[in-house]
Amino acid sequence: MAQCVQSVQELVQDSFVPMVAVLCSEEAERVTRKNNLNFAELLRPFCRLTSEGHIRDPSNQVQLVKNLRICVNNVVTSPNPACAAFSPAQRRLLNEVVSSCQPQEGAATNVITAGDYDLNFSDHCVKASVPWYSAWRQTLSEVSTSKHYTATTPWFEAYRENFLQTMAASEHEFLNHYLACLLVVSSTETVPVEQFLKLSQEQHRIQHSGDYTNPKWFIPNTLKYYVLLHDMGEGGEQRADAVYEDMKQRYGHQGCYLLKVNSRSSSAEDDEQMPDPWSQYLHRSNMQNQEDEDAAVSSGPAENNTSAAEVDKHHATEKDGASTGLEGHPLQLDTASSPGSLHALSAEQPELKKGGRDPESLVGAAGSHGACLTLNDHDHIRQFIQEFTFRGLLPHIEKNIRQLNDQLVSRKGLSRSLFTATKKWFGGGKVPEKGVSEPKSTCGLLYPPEAPELQIRKMADLCFLVQHYELAYSCYHTAKKDFLSDQAMLYAAGALEMAAVSAFLQAGAPRPYPTHYMDTAIQTYRDVCKNMVLAERCALLSAEILKSQAKYSEAATLLIKMTSEDSDLRSALLLEQAAHCFINMRNPMVRKFAFHMILAGHRFSKAGQRRHALRCYCQAMQVYKQRGWSLAEDHINFTIGRQSFTLSQPENAVTAFRQILTNDSRQTATQQGAFLREYLYVYKSVVGGNEDRLPQLPLPCIHSSATRVYFGHERRLAEGEKQAATHVSLDQEYDQDLAAMWGHLEEQLVAAANRGIVPASFQPTQCCLNSQTDNLRRPLAVAEEPIIVEVTFRNPLKVPLALSNLKLLWKFTAEGASPSEETAGEAITNEESLTEGMPQTDTVVTTQIILEFLMGPEETKMARLQLLPRRTGQLSIVGVVYNLAAAPCAETAPSSEGQQAVDFMLVRGRQDLKIQGPRLNQTKEDKMLVRHGLDRRLDPIITPPMPLMEVFFLQFPTALLCGEIRKAYVEFCNVSAVALCGLRVASTHPDFFTFGSQGTTPLTPVSPTSAENCSAYKTVTRPPGSVASEMLVSAGDFSQPSGVMDIPIDGGTLLPGESTQLPLWLRGPDHEGVHEINFLFYYQSTEKGTQISHRVLRHTVFICASRSLSVQASACRSSVPPHHRLDDGGGGTLVFVDVENINTSEGGVREFHIVQVSSSSQRWRLHRRINPASDRDCKLTSRERAKLCFRATRCRPPPAASDAAEKYTFADVNLGNERIISSSTPCGDFFFRGCRSPESHRVGGTASRTSSSSRIQEGRAADISSIVKKCNELDLHIIVIWKAYVVEDNKQLILEGQLHVALQTLGKEVTSLTPKEEAQEMVLLKFKPEAPAPVAPPSAELSQLIKTNLHYPETHSHPFVQESLCVVPVTLTLSNCSSAPVDVLIDLRHKSPSPESVEVHGSFTWVGRTQYKLQLEPQQVLCVTLRACFLQAGVYNLNTPRVFAKPTQQAAVCETSQQAASPALIIINNA
Amino acid sequence: MSGSFYFVMVGHQDNPVFEMEFLPAGKPESKDDHRHLNQFIAHAALDLVDENMWLSNNMYLKTVDKFNEWFVSAFVTAGHILCTALDSSLYGIKNFFNDVYDLYIKFAMNPFYEINAPIRSTAFERKVQFLGKKHLLS
Repeated sequence: MAQCVQSVQELVQDSFVPMVAVLCSEEAERVTRKNNLNFAELLRPFCRLTSEGHIRDPSNQVQLVKNLRICVNNVVTSPNPACAAFSPAQRRLLNEVVSSCQPQEGAATNVITAGDYDLNFSDHCVKASVPWYSAWRQTLSEVSTSKHYTATTPWFEAYRENFLQTMAASEHEFLNHYLACLLVVSSTETVPVEQFLKLSQEQHRIQHSGDYTNPKWFIPNTLKYYVLLHDMGEGGEQRADAVYEDMKQRYGHQGCYLLKVNSRSSSAEDDEQMPDPWSQYLHRSNMQNQEDEDAAVSSGPAENNTSAAEVDKHHATEKDGASTGLEGHPLQLDTASSPGSLHALSAEQPELKKGGRDPESLVGAAGSHGACLTLNDHDHIRQFIQEFTFRGLLPHIEKNIRQLNDQLVSRKGLSRSLFTATKKWFGGGKVPEKGVSEPKSTCGLLYPPEAPELQIRKMADLCFLVQHYELAYSCYHTAKKDFLSDQAMLYAAGALEMAAVSAFLQAGAPRPYPTHYMDTAIQTYRDVCKNMVLAERCALLSAEILKSQAKYSEAATLLIKMTSEDSDLRSALLLEQAAHCFINMRNPMVRKFAFHMILAGHRFSKAGQRRHALRCYCQAMQVYKQRGWSLAEDHINFTIGRQSFTLSQPENAVTAFRQILTNDSRQTATQQGAFLREYLYVYKSVVGGNEDRLPQLPLPCIHSSATRVYFGHERRLAEGEKQAATHVSLDQEYDQDLAAMWGHLEEQLVAAANRGIVPASFQPTQCCLNSQTDNLRRPLAVAEEPIIVEVTFRNPLKVPLALSNLKLLWKFTAEGASPSEETAGEAITNEESLTEGMPQTDTVVTTQIILEFLMGPEETKMARLQLLPRRTGQLSIVGVVYNLAAAPCAETAPSSEGQQAVDFMLVRGRQDLKIQGPRLNQTKEDKMLVRHGLDRRLDPIITPPMPLMEVFFLQFPTALLCGEIRKAYVEFCNVSAVALCGLRVASTHPDFFTFGSQGTTPLTPVSPTSAENCSAYKTVTRPPGSVASEMLVSAGDFSQPSGVMDIPIDGGTLLPGESTQLPLWLRGPDHEGVHEINFLFYYQSTEKGTQISHRVLRHTVFICASRSLSVQASACRSSVPPHHRLDDGGGGTLVFVDVENINTSEGGVREFHIVQVSSSSQRWRLHRRINPASDRDCKLTSRERAKLCFRATRCRPPPAASDAAEKYTFADVNLGNERIISSSTPCGDFFFRGCRSPESHRVGGTASRTSSSSRIQEGRAADISSIVKKCNELDLHIIVIWKAYVVEDNKQLILEGQLHVALQTLGKEVTSLTPKEEAQEMVLLKFKPEAPAPVAPPSAELSQLIKTNLHYPETHSHPFVQESLCVVPVTLTLSNCSSAPVDVLIDLRHKSPSPESVEVHGSFTWVGRTQYKLQLEPQQVLCVTLRACFLQAGVYNLNTPRVFAKPTQQAAVCETSQQAASPALIIINNA
Repeated sequence: MSGSFYFVMVGHQDNPVFEMEFLPAGKPESKDDHRHLNQFIAHAALDLVDENMWLSNNMYLKTVDKFNEWFVSAFVTAGHILCTALDSSLYGIKNFFNDVYDLYIKFAMNPFYEINAPIRSTAFERKVQFLGKKHLLS
């Protein structure tokens, strides 16, 4: 806020002061020159009167005159230019005044809070007036500051003061006409009185000869005051006194004065602190002098040039502004212009600096003032002024007022009224000297100097000057009416203006301040008279008055109205004042303030006032910033940037430009390109300085939380035929589930390595860190293994960016560095400083450099930067450093010139990588506040070298048939310098592969090349026979404790650089489809106690399994009676194996051959095949189905060895010429792998089933069922080995494979294809518990307890003629299949309930004993002879005996009818 | 600039919530140097909108401010979202405000929209564009 230190009254009063002219003799001039001053200047600091004066008005009332100031000026007779506008020289002067007055740097700031805005004003009131006056002033300013905001604008006050002073005297008012003239003569003059006379005549000539229009004089008989100047240093005081006495005689003691000065010799260098009241007046007056001489030649040609150039430029901009005028915009943002403009600006800058005139230096050059004056002399001068004013000037004014008053009163009686009356009647017939045609009188008419209308104005002015405002007002008022009626608009406006001012100044304010007077005056000045200078003066006064009355809104309107295209400086200052008015309103209008500050800033910059422009924009920025008005913000930032740069504050410029670039910009691409180029240019000039740290660059944006860190080498995926383990790479996306899966596998491995216990400190190995991984602890990196950091860059701009020489910045602290080392304890960093070259850091950590990195418009791109740590210690990655340049646009041809431009625009800088950890959400505080955890992913600890293994796969298939066996090779390489051991592997599919087992592994060629077309199986030539060959194998040879497998490498360790190959058998998964199979290899260093306990290597393969065969198997008891059997032992079982080719032959599979069927069980074995015939191979083409039938028998009871239970009998029935030894490696391994997993499934399944049955009956039911189950249990695993003939690339290939079927119980059909899992897992919600299922006696199973056979002749001839009864003996063989004693009840009387059966066998009956109760021991076979009696010939079904059985121990269980077998037909012939 | 039109909705922190410029059909792309001026004028007018809205019972405040040849009219929603339009011709502006208000209410009902947040919806934009064509440019 332009809070003036002066009060408004004082200001207005000081704007209009009595003018006193000075005429000096040459000698007197010489005397004052000793002080480096002329006489007027000498007096100037003392021109304010501290004591009060008195004056009598025409009605003899005493009027107090206080705080009066007079203005003393040398008489200058050069013609004054037109007063309607300022001359260029005047403009320049004002410009310089404003630019020399700047706010202090770092001054105390005021904060204004308006609404939700906080505004800072660093401007500070610096203007102190005359020294002895300061105390009074302080209280005054305190009073004013307590009420208002105190942001002051001293440049505005300076401008106003100078403006009022430089105003030329005009015809229509007398206020700044000279009232008196001081005639100064030195006492050293030979005849001073003659000199006085000469000067007096000179004055008279100037005033009355008519040669000079300037200066203007108030009254014809100007007061002449004679001053004798006496130089004390030159002595002759008596003479001076004598002359003075003479003068008193001649001019009266009120008309002359003896002024004694220069009491001190100027040579006396003992400069005590003399106050220098002139300094603040003088630079201005100096310039004024220059201006008076009308050229600024003193400063030499160079400066002259620049200032001329500046003026030219100024004009140019002004013209620009004018031409674009209204349809063009006042706030043009000429950013699209090439950077050349800025370069031009910068080139201009040093000159500007030279040219910018420093007020201090100017004053300093002039030397100190008043060197010959003592404080006493100051007092003398002060006394002189007082004397002159009170004795000379005031009485003179008083006298003139009286005279004028008398004249007016005498005339008033008739002439005034007559005058107006005639005018009325004749319609202005008598128009005195109408000067419409005269150039200066656009405002109506001109009065002659002695016109009566002017007399009243003259009197008003006099009254005004002596502070008799009441009289002045009435006079102005009268004059106004006269002028208006004469249509003398200029005069009228002047009278209106002064009437308003005097009304305002009247103490006690009998009438309100007439605002409309002022408005009319301004309007008239501006529109009618086209006199902007007067209008401006009027507006300045009015605004000040309005502000003092807190009418800020009106003041603002007034000030804004005064802005126009003709003067940028004035517009700027007034707009700024208007802005301050807005903020001082009762409800501060911050946004209006900001807008007008912008307008003011714009005008300032057009006026060449860069500093002020910058300040305005900065202040406005406080309102706009971070509110989302992005275009406005960009404009302001851009202007701030440019102005700061030209004012050589490049740091600020960089900040401003950075804002534009980093803000969410809505500018067009070309605009952004321009911004970017300017930024780079400015930045380059800043960095040109000697900073030791590279500054931060704003572009491109780094998405720091997306940073990923990868430890280890980048993987080669394939190397010739070898296929490397996939491991982890940066190309993979992070997957939470996968990570959990790998973690689980690793846990298994670690447990296996530590005898089943997972150490408490176990932490899954993380090779690739990102935002989702656990980054709480510092990751471990290994020396000599690279660390790759992937940084995500985003280019927010619509223009491409070119980054080059991109590399990571790091800091390294050596581990346990002894203090003797030069790098001891201190962090080494690869930060380059601009002054010195790169420090030698490659021995510590080698940094990879990406030479070129281009980013397209609005592109997000990742850069992978690599470090190779060489020593152990703690590394922390600090940031990235790179060169930034605007990428050349596609359309510009890459000519050599363009290349240069790019080089020129290249800047180097850094950006820090700061990763914020995840937000904490554990405790209550965490939830209430926003807290973030640690993220250490960029601070790895470098550990000593560790072993590093690479795994390659050879001949690894990608597609397999279900159950297909394939042999592949795996190669382990130790690529590090450290030996490794403890090699293990875990997998998600342990049944997919095997490394073979000790002892059973066939001798296969170790190198894969010789293995072409070689069967994976171990075979023995054997003609196809119907009887199986058997082998007894312990399961312990195959089985592994868990999913973790030890890898059988020689010696268990891999020495550095060593590699080994192992065969690997794979078996296609049983389900068709794509399977993801994960391997996790584990190894550890041979050295103990390393920081990293173990390392892992991941591998993922995808296997596409396609359908091969489906095997369905079932078993049933053979009904062959026991004595027919060839072998001994328990009951024989028939095994039916249905094999179907379900391959959907797109893979080119021709046909499948069943080569061999093997069995594996602890108790059963395949004995012989029944079907097909012995010499026939079983061939299956597409969709063909074959049925194989085998007989299985119980194994011989195993010797009572302890591990009998673990022994499995493998029985092979080969259908071809080769027998595959199923108990050896691939086959046996996969059998055990295959059967383990389904078993575990089944256990789970039964468990859930039993839980549903009711608890009470559980015990009993379990008992029965166990017996029953035991009886029916078969537990026979069938392995079907096949060969498939495949045509691939015109080559026939033979694939082999095996399918497993586990026959658990008799009678049940089992298939190798597990039914498709039902997708629908959802179960209907049940609200009622289901009623417990009744425990049905497991009749179906119980009915299998006893096997019955009837033996009888198939045909029997009987002569019914001889004997009507035919009795045929029938043997019923009962065999107990169970392992428990069974009670059997045979009931022959039982009739079949069905009527038709009655009919069929109604004719035969059992004779003899019809009911038997027997007990059968386990496995016992019992024959019962029955007799059937037939009455006639026919075919009979003998199978009517009912056999009921129940386990002996189970009393409660009812007996169950045993298998209702197929009909046993007998044919009875009549012989 | 005649015939072209700038519309902005301002949130509670004086932040622009939605901005749109309408250009008459025949006119090519607006000059870039005017775009920030629109913002300046509209922002400065907010002071007067704040003042005027307590003086009237209507939501539509008519012309509140004027800068050179631009007239600023305003509309204050019940939730104190200020809508400001900059135009040199003022036909149909009231209807336009009412329709946009309608649209805004519907938009603000979206539970995923946070009051005061910038509106980034192409559908909303398209509809406002349509309303602008309908009421202002025709």
